[in-house]
Amino acid sequence: MKLPRGDLVASRVVDDYAVALRDALDDAVTGYLVLEPGSTLLTGDDDAGVLTLADGVPVLASHTGTERGGPGALADLAGPGPVQVDRRVVASTALAEVHDVDGRDALAVAPGEPARVLAGDHDLAARTRERAPEDHPGRGEDADPLDAFLADDDRVAAIREEARAEAERRAEEWGFVDQLD
Amino acid sequence: MVEAIAVASGKGGTGKTTATLALGMALADDGYDVTVVDADTGLANLLFHTGLDDATVTLHDLLLGDDDVTVADATYDRFGLSVVPCGTDLGDFEAADPERLADVVAELAVDADVLLLDSPAALGSKSAVLPIVLADRVVVVLQPTLPALSDGLKVHEYAAAYGTDTAGVLYNRVHDAADVDAVREQTERYFDAPVIGSVPDADVVRDARAAGEPLLAHAPETDAAVAFRDAADGIDPRDRDEDAVASRFSSAVVPDRP
Repeated sequence: MKLPRGDLVASRVVDDYAVALRDALDDAVTGYLVLEPGSTLLTGDDDAGVLTLADGVPVLASHTGTERGGPGALADLAGPGPVQVDRRVVASTALAEVHDVDGRDALAVAPGEPARVLAGDHDLAARTRERAPEDHPGRGEDADPLDAFLADDDRVAAIREEARAEAERRAEEWGFVDQLD
Repeated sequence: MVEAIAVASGKGGTGKTTATLALGMALADDGYDVTVVDADTGLANLLFHTGLDDATVTLHDLLLGDDDVTVADATYDRFGLSVVPCGTDLGDFEAADPERLADVVAELAVDADVLLLDSPAALGSKSAVLPIVLADRVVVVLQPTLPALSDGLKVHEYAAAYGTDTAGVLYNRVHDAADVDAVREQTERYFDAPVIGSVPDADVVRDARAAGEPLLAHAPETDAAVAFRDAADGIDPRDRDEDAVASRFSSAVVPDRP
């Protein structure tokens, strides 16, 4: 996805995706968010997700690491922990050009999906859907990212391995080593 | 016999306390002596769900090491259960010694068939992980969303690291039963445990909480209550020697403060 640079108006680490998405909706941001999940902050990877927003409503999603778009990008981004969020504001005419390019359907997400998939926040998802215009390119998308996530053995295995390593590391810190299996 | 089961989620807002009490009441109806302990010592919740807002003696007093307070003093008979609530005083929480939880649980194990430990949502501290370390098995309560599921997998993995089996996955606050059906098989594969229930999201759960009553007392015939009872059937408490369990808890080596 080729995006104009726009103006960087905020750059911060938030507790979870719900905060980033709720703030963007409340502020009716037109532009995009660059989302770098906590797991990549730790590993030093520069994998990130990009989510475009029109009037605070998510429109297109892509992932720089997996190069997947749309619901696949959301599934790649999902996970627990803090998120580094850069918010860039773009002129609505310039963003409209991005949203009109060929191939946008592969990148489009249903308006409420980022809130549902990344934040598990049904209320925020409903509020976002209500705000979405009739011609939102992701309307009617019925992909099931949860299903897609669980079908991705490697990704689930990675989460489990990371959790196991964390549990064992902390067992040493907390003196639970004797309880380890 | 006694079995200690931690009810955990890895994420807040999944309805863990509601689930703990519902599973406890259903198991009590099946004839088990059930003790429910609010092991979420930093965010007391159980007392509000059981009308014990005014409880003068709580688990905090035991964790503070007050010699004048016995475990029996902090145990309340409510709704066919023995309930050990936590206090709401954060000062008490900070002063409380989580390591004493093992001794309290050991003492409670003597008189119970099933000990349910309502565990903290996040896994960020020693006291939060302790219930999972101490328990025989864990029930993971989830919403069918990606963040909840990834956090639940983390709980499962922590439990496995400490040799604690997962008894089952309980999907709660479900908006669409089809969401659970779509992921049931894969959930069971990754958690190496059955999906023991799918409980619909319902306003009556919030009403019960506002009334200070467990769901199964407040609205026993609702779909959510029925679904919790079905889920409890999937737990099938194991027959463990109470002396061995008590001894395991009391000898749990928990040497360093975090």
